Amino acid sequence: MAWTKPTLTEIACG
Amino acid sequence: MTPLIQPQDVPYLPRGVRLQGDHVRGIRVLQAPERAMQLDQIGEAILTELDGARSMAAIVAELAVRYNAPEDQIAGDVRDFLTGLIERRMVFVKDIT
Repeated sequence: MAWTKPTLTEIACG
Repeated sequence: MTPLIQPQDVPYLPRGVRLQGDHVRGIRVLQAPERAMQLDQIGEAILTELDGARSMAAIVAELAVRYNAPEDQIAGDVRDFLTGLIERRMVFVKDIT
C-alpha cells in the first residue's frame, strides 16, 4: 500500500 | 505544530499504553488507561516500529524503504503523528543519558 499521512481519531470512552 | 520529538530521539509506548485490534468494529486502537485513539493502517505501522531502542530517524528510514516513499515526506508525517501522541501522553521519548 502507498504511504498516506496518518490520521488519529479520538474515541470517546464511557 | 511544534515538534516534540527530534530525529535522534527514541520514542516508546509507556506502561499501560498498548496497540489493540478491535475485531468487533474492525478498527485499530491505541489504548491508554483513560483514553483511546483510533488509528489507520499507517498509524499502526508507525507504532508497531516503536521498540524503545531505535531512533525516530531509523524508523523513518525503514518506513521509507518499505513504502517506497520520499524520506522527507515520511519524516514530517511521523514527526507530526508522534507529536500528537506525545501531547496526549500516549508516547514517551527516552531521556538521552
